[in-house]
Amino acid sequence: MTEIKEHPPEIPAEDTSWEAEIQRVGFIRRILMARRWYGADWWFVSISAVMVVAFIVVALFPGLFAPYSPDALVGPRFLAPGQHPEIPVLIVPKDSSINTLKDMAAPEGQPRPSIAVVQGVPTAGALNEQAQSIDNQTKNEPEGLRLRPRIERFTSLEETLQAVIDGTVQAAVVQSTEFDRVSAQFPTLRAGASITGETATAGGFILGTNDIGQDVLSRLLWGTRVAIIIGFSASIVALVLGVPLGLLAGFIGGSFDRLLSLVMDSLYAFPGLILAIAITAVLGPSILNVIVAISVLYIPTYYRIVRGQTLSVKEEIYVEAAQSIGARSLEILRLYIFPNVIPSVAIIFSVNVADAILTGAGLSFLGLGLPPTIADWGIDLARGQRFIQTAWWMITFPGLAIMLIVLAFSMMGEGLTEIFNPKLRER
Amino acid sequence: MPEDILYSVRNLTVEYQTRAGAVRAVDDVSLDIRRGEILGLVGESGCGKSTLGKALMRLHTGPASITGGELWFDGRDLMKLPLNEMPDVRGAEIGMVFQDPMTSLNPIQRILDHLTETIHTHEPETSDAAARIRAEELAERLGIRRERLSEYPHQMSGGMRQRVMISLALALRTKLLIADEPTTSLDVIVEAKFLDLLQELQKEFGLTILLITHNIGVVAEVADRVAVMYAAKMAEVGDVNDVFGDSKHPYTQGLLKSVPNIRLGENELYKMEGAPPSLLHPPSGCRFHPRCPFVMDVCHTQEPAFEPVVGDHLASCLLYQKAGVKQESLNG
Amino acid sequence: MAEPKSMEVTTAVTGTAAETGDLVRVENLRKHFPVQTGFLASILNRGHIPAVKAVDGVSFTIRRGEVFGLAGESGSGKSTVGRLVLRLLEPTDGRVIFDGIDLSSLEPEEMRRLRSRMQVVFQDPLASLNPRMTVGQTIEHPAKIHMTDLSAAERRGRVMGILSAVGMNPPESFYDLYPHQISGGQRQRIVLARALITRPELIVADEPIAMADVSVRALLLDLMMKLKEEFDLTYLFITHDLATAKYVCDRIAVMYLGKMCEIGPLKEVYELPAHPYTRALLEAVPVPDPRHRRNEAMPAGEIPNAINPPSGCRFHPRCPIARENCSVDEPLLRELRPEHYVACHYAEELLK
Repeated sequence: MTEIKEHPPEIPAEDTSWEAEIQRVGFIRRILMARRWYGADWWFVSISAVMVVAFIVVALFPGLFAPYSPDALVGPRFLAPGQHPEIPVLIVPKDSSINTLKDMAAPEGQPRPSIAVVQGVPTAGALNEQAQSIDNQTKNEPEGLRLRPRIERFTSLEETLQAVIDGTVQAAVVQSTEFDRVSAQFPTLRAGASITGETATAGGFILGTNDIGQDVLSRLLWGTRVAIIIGFSASIVALVLGVPLGLLAGFIGGSFDRLLSLVMDSLYAFPGLILAIAITAVLGPSILNVIVAISVLYIPTYYRIVRGQTLSVKEEIYVEAAQSIGARSLEILRLYIFPNVIPSVAIIFSVNVADAILTGAGLSFLGLGLPPTIADWGIDLARGQRFIQTAWWMITFPGLAIMLIVLAFSMMGEGLTEIFNPKLRER
Repeated sequence: MPEDILYSVRNLTVEYQTRAGAVRAVDDVSLDIRRGEILGLVGESGCGKSTLGKALMRLHTGPASITGGELWFDGRDLMKLPLNEMPDVRGAEIGMVFQDPMTSLNPIQRILDHLTETIHTHEPETSDAAARIRAEELAERLGIRRERLSEYPHQMSGGMRQRVMISLALALRTKLLIADEPTTSLDVIVEAKFLDLLQELQKEFGLTILLITHNIGVVAEVADRVAVMYAAKMAEVGDVNDVFGDSKHPYTQGLLKSVPNIRLGENELYKMEGAPPSLLHPPSGCRFHPRCPFVMDVCHTQEPAFEPVVGDHLASCLLYQKAGVKQESLNG
Repeated sequence: MAEPKSMEVTTAVTGTAAETGDLVRVENLRKHFPVQTGFLASILNRGHIPAVKAVDGVSFTIRRGEVFGLAGESGSGKSTVGRLVLRLLEPTDGRVIFDGIDLSSLEPEEMRRLRSRMQVVFQDPLASLNPRMTVGQTIEHPAKIHMTDLSAAERRGRVMGILSAVGMNPPESFYDLYPHQISGGQRQRIVLARALITRPELIVADEPIAMADVSVRALLLDLMMKLKEEFDLTYLFITHDLATAKYVCDRIAVMYLGKMCEIGPLKEVYELPAHPYTRALLEAVPVPDPRHRRNEAMPAGEIPNAINPPSGCRFHPRCPIARENCSVDEPLLRELRPEHYVACHYAEELLK
């Protein structure tokens, strides 16, 4: 085979297009160089990518970040963010052997212990509750100890504490924060254990507690897991079903296409949330059913986009060229059409996840879909609705979380669209 | 400025801001367009001729801008005009016809409305009736029958649409018509008739035409003078017979040899070596030196000036610019 | 009666395969594209659907080893003919016979296999290449389909060989590049390489250099001619550029509005065009020489639409020598001089 010698091969004009430049450097440098090429879009995508990664990490390892379990009743109810919980502690003389309330239990017949409380403060109620429950516990034990303290009320904190020093009472029960405040004045006294067994976290509960005493922050972080699972699963299922159908409908055409499009368009025309409600109502509450319901909602989205892309790619000359070299239909679909259609799908996936999360939250807000035992933002929103005036933090933080995650995924999807679709990009 | 020169471009530079840096699409180009002539501006794609055409009307926006030079049109420097006064010049004094007329015309507007709207925009005191009469007369003159004026652009053929574009340009006693690749998308017979039309316009209306094209044949058919651009610079300018019959710049010579001539019996086409250079990193010295069959050492380092070689025939080539060393014509 | 006469003419023009050693024989090819009309409109027209008669009764042969030029303006149907010859489109009527095989008689699988013997080069190289396949993959694909006895290494070797043959040296450096990473002229070379890897006999080139830069065109044409020698090819060279066609074609055919006007040896058609349309076309081509400017008038009017073409001779409304019968009787291709066919009633007048 003779070479064409007389004419040197065409010297490729130095390809100064940025696409070519980018190919020449490594991946990391590519990302950093990209900042110069894409400008604002790069920031858009980077910031949202960081947010998305953060959400996913939290969703994968909520236990690492959440101080408490989402179901545990860890604090007093309706605690505002940052507010220290009021924990009543037992105040005793420094040399006393008593530490907890239970220590004060005595056998039957012994004189009843007396405990001082400050007048007007609800610690008396807590004291009574605790004493009673301990009493019920101890009297059934072999030693048969009883705890029925006599409660002495004093007008001020100082008087209450003084009574302990004077010996008028065996112990006092006051708020630990109050005691901390005046402990310098009473060097002979010390604080024992909390009478309710609660412990204070440093700084209290960062985002407060809800109506039954659960930590809002922990529920928020654990709720991320549910949101991400629903968002990704529903989108993936919709993609796995919608994309092949769209490909086939676009490629085959004819009555198959018309029939399928009819079904899909009908589904698409249906208001999303209502359809999801109907499906979950029929299937019953469970996370799987929520995923199914939401994915049905989004199958038409992927179908339509893929079908449209397939129809236009089908008309491209390189597809005709593939036919001219004798490729079979399936081969053409696999090698020539599918790879050129899929980028558009990848981009809408991100926005789709955001949408799915929103729909999922909407469903649980309405009380459908998820069983109430699972920590979920939507459920929290619904619960917090009643207390919006008194405990605004119950609804605000889940709401903010939903907003942020939807923003993150949407921003990333939009940013990627701008980068990969240069026709839409402003010059 | 001499009376017979309608448009004198002096040291024009147009820069594009790209992601890879600033690119000079037109680099220190000077050109005179004489009244009543058809000047052909030729060059391969990317040489800057279209950019130059648009710059004459200061049409550039966004990443492209004129960064230097003067545009002396009919006695005044358009560069000194505030940008918001340019629309009065465009359309009224300088008209432009583009390659694809379909995208230049409003698809939902009838042809007649295109014309009357143009007239009204620039001469608002014209009555509707007067504008309509003018439009019809103009169309008739350009070979568009009256009945067709009520049609929409998509109902007309490519050649017709080009005529409409010209009539739009002519609606207002234009002095200069800039035609940017007007026949590239036309069939050859329609193209021939279009070129006939351009010559008629030159004769009847005294119109000055700048014809920008990559098609050398088109230029040979109608132009009075020819300007050849290469890599954002002007390579050669002169009377059409001089540039074709006695080209001075080696690029022009190569270009002419590589264009198929249907009249000739030759069986071989000349192939020029290499490819047009990147404008981001143009070659040093003379931009054509990597491909020039007559390259000398000095061409690597020194940029040639754009100077007369013989009378009105200018070229930017060092072969003619060394003191005391005048080369014979290289056309052999 | 028009019918029998046209059959005679067809045989006369095309002959039989055994006699003439033809690679391709096209007989009375027709391709009508139905125009989309609404349901109501089609009822009102009583089932008669208007159609674009892109190709309307075209016959010719392509001899082995020649470069057969097919020229015409837009709407002439030349690109459609190219696709019909390759059976990328199904004809509405007529036959395409490749090396004695009637294409319409083939099963889909047989047709698929036959494709290794006839390939196409389209006008737009960027659009012809799958943006998601590398140069190597693109060229290798036909080999994968048709040359199943080769191992992967052998296939790769063939691809390298072809890359070299089209001037892309060193071939290894291009193998993994994507179409957008190479220049326009190089892309068309890749398209050629893809067309050649199965060693076809026929290449249909549809405006192969129209989108290349002027300085690159000559290189590409040169390459195509060299490849023709090396690979023993036959070209159907479809173009609107008569100036370029002159450099490469052995014979040339001119089409107008779906019909064949003239077929003949290149030199003869260019020097003695017998059909008024061919004459006008040749006159219209701009000549890059200001001393020889065109002074002949061009035919009036423009190309009519192909849905309702003019009756009789399609060119009659614009023809400078049209007579009364031209609008009634359609002229058929007849042999005016040896090997020179023309479809015009009064072609002799033109030659005076």
